Amino acid sequence: MSSKYSFYQIFNSHIKREFLINFRSLIDVISIISFMILIITLFVLGIGPFQEKLGLVSNSIFWIGLILAIIPSLEKTLQRDYDNGWLDQTITSPISLEFILLSKSIAYWLIIIIPLLISLPFFIILLNISLKLIPWLFISILIGGLSISLVGIIGSALTLGAKRGNILLPILIIPFIIPILIFGVGVSETISVNESPIGNLFLLIGFTLIYLVISPFISAFLIRIAISR
Amino acid sequence: MLYLKDLTIKRGSKIVFYNWSTKFKNSQITIINGKNGAGKSTLLRAIAGLIPLEKGVIKNNSNEIFKDQIKWGENLIFIDSKNGLSKDLTVYENLKIWSEMRGWNVGDNDLQKALSSVDIINYKKVYISQCSEGLKKRAALSRLYLSFLFDVKFWLLDEPTNELDKKSIILFNKLIQRFIENKGTVLLACHSLKLFDFKYELLNLDLLKK
Repeated sequence: MSSKYSFYQIFNSHIKREFLINFRSLIDVISIISFMILIITLFVLGIGPFQEKLGLVSNSIFWIGLILAIIPSLEKTLQRDYDNGWLDQTITSPISLEFILLSKSIAYWLIIIIPLLISLPFFIILLNISLKLIPWLFISILIGGLSISLVGIIGSALTLGAKRGNILLPILIIPFIIPILIFGVGVSETISVNESPIGNLFLLIGFTLIYLVISPFISAFLIRIAISR
Repeated sequence: MLYLKDLTIKRGSKIVFYNWSTKFKNSQITIINGKNGAGKSTLLRAIAGLIPLEKGVIKNNSNEIFKDQIKWGENLIFIDSKNGLSKDLTVYENLKIWSEMRGWNVGDNDLQKALSSVDIINYKKVYISQCSEGLKKRAALSRLYLSFLFDVKFWLLDEPTNELDKKSIILFNKLIQRFIENKGTVLLACHSLKLFDFKYELLNLDLLKK
């Protein structure tokens, strides 16, 4: 049989695996969505019945809700595979761990982003976001989500095997998510004042590309340390 | 031939092996024996590349194995007590995705045969979360069959027989015998030697001077 590796096949198998695991139990997906709904509802109710006040902060609330909702589920992305020995199997396979982690972060990105995009109309109504923002919001969530999952994999690898990793992880990764928050909100804000959002969007893409390059290498390095303990 | 030269392996701050050399011949089964904590798993994990060597080299014939980890990965199947099965996938899906993850293109027919080789074909649609420990171990051991289709020459097995029943042990013996006939090398950590009806070399780690 052929021993040529089709990277597309390997990539595909990881996406399939993560989708099967996550959409079969659905618990992670539901928790992300419901947590985001909770955060946004609390913000909106806390602001009170003033539309102008909400208009000032709605973009930031949306992004903060997005980040806070994703963080709790990040820890499990690698912890589960570490506990059941899947990571041992991937390290003793002919495929480089870096490539596997890249596939894994992209799979995770799709898993969190698809339900969020489906429930986007609901958030738009809740936060009274203007309609001309929707395509830009769509794009910036897509790109920002990829950054968050790439950074999240690093954090997840860093807290592998650590007790209380769920508390440590947000503290470690939020500094790296701050640029995503700033430029993600920036995209929406520039449109609100009728300016071009391209600059902010490019910076968002730039940070995502940086994370795309460094994340697999850093997390593979960290996982090798965690496994060897 | 697998040569281990001047190996020093640390686990945490404890030195498990110090300047230790040995070799494992091809087409041979080596059963690694020793009391708990003697370093059976540490040795297997080190050879698999999961624990970095403090000092020393491991050579497969004349190639240092960790210089080309990809090639070593092709050559190797490692199974330990953690199995590497996802509990939300079925027995069949676990095997299929495992083989795809290694870049292997295995047909449905061969996957069925692999599951039959450890007599777990009747459970192929059962989720791992509903399997007993013995079934889980058999699901993990079904991977071994796939090494006959590809160029795998080493099996590193850490206590594979712990949860198996009598019939599965006979099937496991058959798999090993077939692998040895195909010029494979097996390193097997195990406590009881009665289970195996083949010729093996014994490596007793208790007798090492450390």
